[in-house]
Formats: sequence, structure tokens, C-alpha cells
Amino acid sequence: MTVADIEEHLAPIRHEYPDPRSLILPALRHAQGDAGWLSPDALAAVAAATGFSQAYVESVATFYDRLYMDEVGRYCINVCVTLSCMLRGSDELFDHIAEYLGLDGEGTTADGMFTLAKVQCIGACDRAPCLQVDSGVQLGPLEPADAACLIDDLRAEPAPARYGR
Amino acid sequence: MPELNAVYRHREFGDRLTTLADYERAGGYLGLKETLELSPDDVLYAFHRSGLRGRGGAGFPMGRKASFLPKDTGRPTYVVCNADESEPGTFKDREIIEHNPFQLIEGITIASYAVGCERAYIYIRGEYETQARVLDDALAGARAAGRLGPDAFGPGRPFDITVYRGAGAYICGEETALLESLEGKRGQPRLKPPFPAVAGLYGCPTLINNVETLASLPPIMHRGPDWYAAMGNEKSPGTKLFSVSGHVLNPGNFEVVLGETTLRELIYDMGGGLRPGREVKAVWPGGSSVPVIGAESLDVALDYEALDAVGTLLGSGGCIVMDDSGCIVRASWRLAQFYRHESCGKCTPCREGTGWLANILGRMVHGEGRGEEDIRLLESLFGRIEGRTLCPLADGAVMPIRSALDLFRDEFIRVAHEGSPRPVPMTEAPVG
Repeated sequence: MTVADIEEHLAPIRHEYPDPRSLILPALRHAQGDAGWLSPDALAAVAAATGFSQAYVESVATFYDRLYMDEVGRYCINVCVTLSCMLRGSDELFDHIAEYLGLDGEGTTADGMFTLAKVQCIGACDRAPCLQVDSGVQLGPLEPADAACLIDDLRAEPAPARYGR
Repeated sequence: MPELNAVYRHREFGDRLTTLADYERAGGYLGLKETLELSPDDVLYAFHRSGLRGRGGAGFPMGRKASFLPKDTGRPTYVVCNADESEPGTFKDREIIEHNPFQLIEGITIASYAVGCERAYIYIRGEYETQARVLDDALAGARAAGRLGPDAFGPGRPFDITVYRGAGAYICGEETALLESLEGKRGQPRLKPPFPAVAGLYGCPTLINNVETLASLPPIMHRGPDWYAAMGNEKSPGTKLFSVSGHVLNPGNFEVVLGETTLRELIYDMGGGLRPGREVKAVWPGGSSVPVIGAESLDVALDYEALDAVGTLLGSGGCIVMDDSGCIVRASWRLAQFYRHESCGKCTPCREGTGWLANILGRMVHGEGRGEEDIRLLESLFGRIEGRTLCPLADGAVMPIRSALDLFRDEFIRVAHEGSPRPVPMTEAPVG
């Protein structure tokens, strides 16, 4: 992700904000789409494109759950574990997915394909238990077998051109 | 069963209203038409007369909030739509955006005309990317038809809307944290006053309202504020969306006239009731940040005052139901974990207190509790957290847990001694 790439992304929306600081979050999200996480180089590019210091840009980025400061898998499997989902089996769903992926709880698979995480309410309690792959559609209600199919399908997909997270 | 589709016009229509043509066929943009024939002050008065209260959780009268914005300051005025819907158990705004985005856009347009705003923002949580794209498409459609753009309010009178995506933070649903985030900062709440009406986005007068509140404006302006005010009762007029989830057979969203439906009807008639042989044990009727109530309160009417009278809050209308298979301590622990995770860290009582709540409840659940000592420790924590922070997140963490302890004290004591094994979850597929 180069400074020019980010500047190109920001050019059509700059006029929508009286203060360029508001461009930092859109720039971070765009930069993250490139490699799937925000490396120091990506943060530096966002800083250069928005005109703020890298330290400031990083201080903003670290506040938000869905901005990743470390490398994560090709797909982030975000399993909601908040109350409504818990009542309908989110913990069992999570455990099943972890076992299916060969993980001991949250973490990234050895092949770098999946990062499994417990997340807080994703606004789809009518579909509990539910999960989201990156920031995709809220999927549910899911039985363990559904989740296994989903993972197999993702495994068969070609690498995405950009990360939707 | 008094159910209405004032806000959920797509349900009346029978399908999604995601194209402008469909929306207009269903009566869309008639409210804006009426609005543009009135002076902004008359529109503000209509908001006020409708009695509409903020649907994000606080229930503050919308017309009054809009009237707080100073006029003729020589600075821009902003309207911000709070689409950060993150309150556990709440998914009503998601349905409005997915199925009826133009009604929200029309509502924002009406509010913006009333307060003299030329650019409004929809702050949508990052997890709602699918929904944000629906908005992007709808906005493009509205722009192509001239509903937004250089002549939106008439020749040479511009207005447009920007969708701003968050990136995962419950706290950004708090209005001042939302503004901070929209300004490109960490999403931490501001000290109030000044309130956003006076010094909001970029320090300018700002009206912030929830998706449902703004989406209520088109029918109010089209059918008239008196039509809206005639529904419900004097202090809680109009309709409200309730999201029902948890141990019910038909989880989903339901629009009810305030005051005319009981919690029991919401759970059993609309939410499909419970599994055979099960009874309601606990309900968080307004999202997770409200006091929990028990089965003895099921006949309460769904309006602000009646729910207040039984010791809870209408909140966001996110009604979470737990039957008698559930453990109240485990549920409280899960909520404490939520608040610990979502505390922004600015205020010490919240940052530290939510962590302690989660730690103590966690060890109780896992059979490592310290008996009555833990109960006393919990009780001593509540007063050290509540009312001592800049924003209501910490109060929202205390209320469901303290009320749970009050209602189910024996169970808390038992779990503090014995722990609580993971119950078998409900696995029945939704019937709806």
C-alpha cells in the first residue's frame, strides 16, 4: 500500500470533511484492505497521506477492534459470544470451530488461513448463534456442521484481491 | 395484538424497499414534500408536537433536542445519524437499513432541513459493512434522482449525506464518543456540557439521533404529528421497534404501539414463546444495559413510564429473554465481560470496575468463588462505579448485574459457593 494509493482513495471524499483528521479512519480501513492488517509501513503511508504523525495515526488505530495491528489469517472468523448468542449455543459453536481448525481457543491456524476470535454483539441476535467472516454478512443460526462447511468453502476459495475487514 | 408498520413500511409493502422507485411507490418522499412546504421552525414544531422520543436508548424528546441547536451562529450545523447499533440484543436499525434505507435517508433529509444542515453523516459500525453498502447504493440512487445534491432543498439549496464507517467499538454509540471517532480520534466520550447541540461535530451545533428516530420522521411529516401523537399514551407516544432474542422460538423485530402491548405479549405472541415446559426466568427488556426483571413483571406495558415503574428501562428495545434453563450468574458474567471489553479506558471506575465485575463473576461461575465474601465485594463495587464516569457505559454495566443480584440473591450465593456448570444451550431453530 503506497501513499499514492491511499491518496487516490481519499481524493473523492476529501471535500466531505472540513477537518482532514476525519480521513484517518477511512484511510486506515483502506490500507488494511491491502494486506489484511496494518503494518508499520501501512501506518506510515496513512500518516503521509493524511498529514498526521505516524504516532497519532497508530494511537487512533489501536482503539478499534477491527483494525489489526498484527498479522492475522486470510479470513477472520468472528464468533459472537454475547448474551443472546450464548443462550443459543455460541460457546459450543466456538469450541467446535476451534477444534475443527485445530486451535486451542482463539488464534491463527498454522497455515495462516484463519484467525478465530470471540467477538462482542454483531447485531444479529435473531440469527443466534452467529458469526461473521471479516465484516461480511452476519451468518446464523449456525450449527457446528454449518460452520465446518463454511470453513471448507473458504479454504477452497482463491485468495481475495482485497481483505473485507 | 396492536402491531403497526409506521417505521417498518417495508413490511406493509411486503418486500425490501431498496430502490427509490419501490420506496416512492410505497409512499416514500411524501413526508419530505410536506416538509419543504413548511418553514424550518414549523418543522421543528411538528417534531415537538409528535412527541417522538429518541429511540437509541435515552428516550429524550426529539423535538426538544432539535430545538436546542442555536440558530444563525454563522457556522455550519450538522445532523449525525447514529447507526452504531451495538447494544447487545438490539438489531432493529440493521433491519431498517437493510430493508428500508430510503426512509432513513428521507428522515435525515427532513431533520437536516429543519436545523439548516447542508451535510449530514451516518456513522455506522464497522461490523455493518453489508448494511453500509446498502446505504451507499441508496444514497447514489437518491443523488441520481436529485433527492440529494446541489438542489436537494430546492434550486441552489444543497444537501448531501456521507456514510462514515466505524471499526469496532461499542462506545462509539455514545454520542460524544461517536463525534470523536467521526473527527478522526479515539472514540472516547467527552465531558458534557457542552452538549452536541451547542458544540458537537467539529465544534459546531449538531443534532445526533438514532436510526429509528430519524426513520420515524417521514410518516410523522406525511400523516401529521397529531396522527403520531395519538398513538400510544401521552408520555410515550408513537410506535417502537423491539428486537426479541435469546430463549424464544421466533426471535425477530416487532413494531408495537407504545403502551398497548405487554412484555408477555411481545415474548409469547410475537416472539413465539418458549420451548414447551419452560418458563421465563429473566428479561433484559431494553438491551443489556438495563436492570433485569423476572417473570413477575411480564404483564408490564411496553412504554417508558411503565417499564420504569417496574424498575427497568425501555432502552433500545433490545429484549433479551432467558428461560429457567439459564444461569443468571453466568449471564451476568457474560455481560460483565462485554462491558470490560468495551470500556474505552478513559475513566478509572469503569476501566477497573468492569474488569473486577468480570473477574469476580467469572471465578464464581468457574467454582472458584469465595462465597459470601464475593457477594459483598460485588456489592461494594457497584457504588464505586455507578455515577462516577463521563458516560453511561459504566452505569449500564452495573444496572443489569446489581438488579440480577437483588432478584436472584440465593442463586448468586449458591454459585459463589458451588460454581455453575455450562448449561445445555437452546438449539431449536427459529420458527419465523
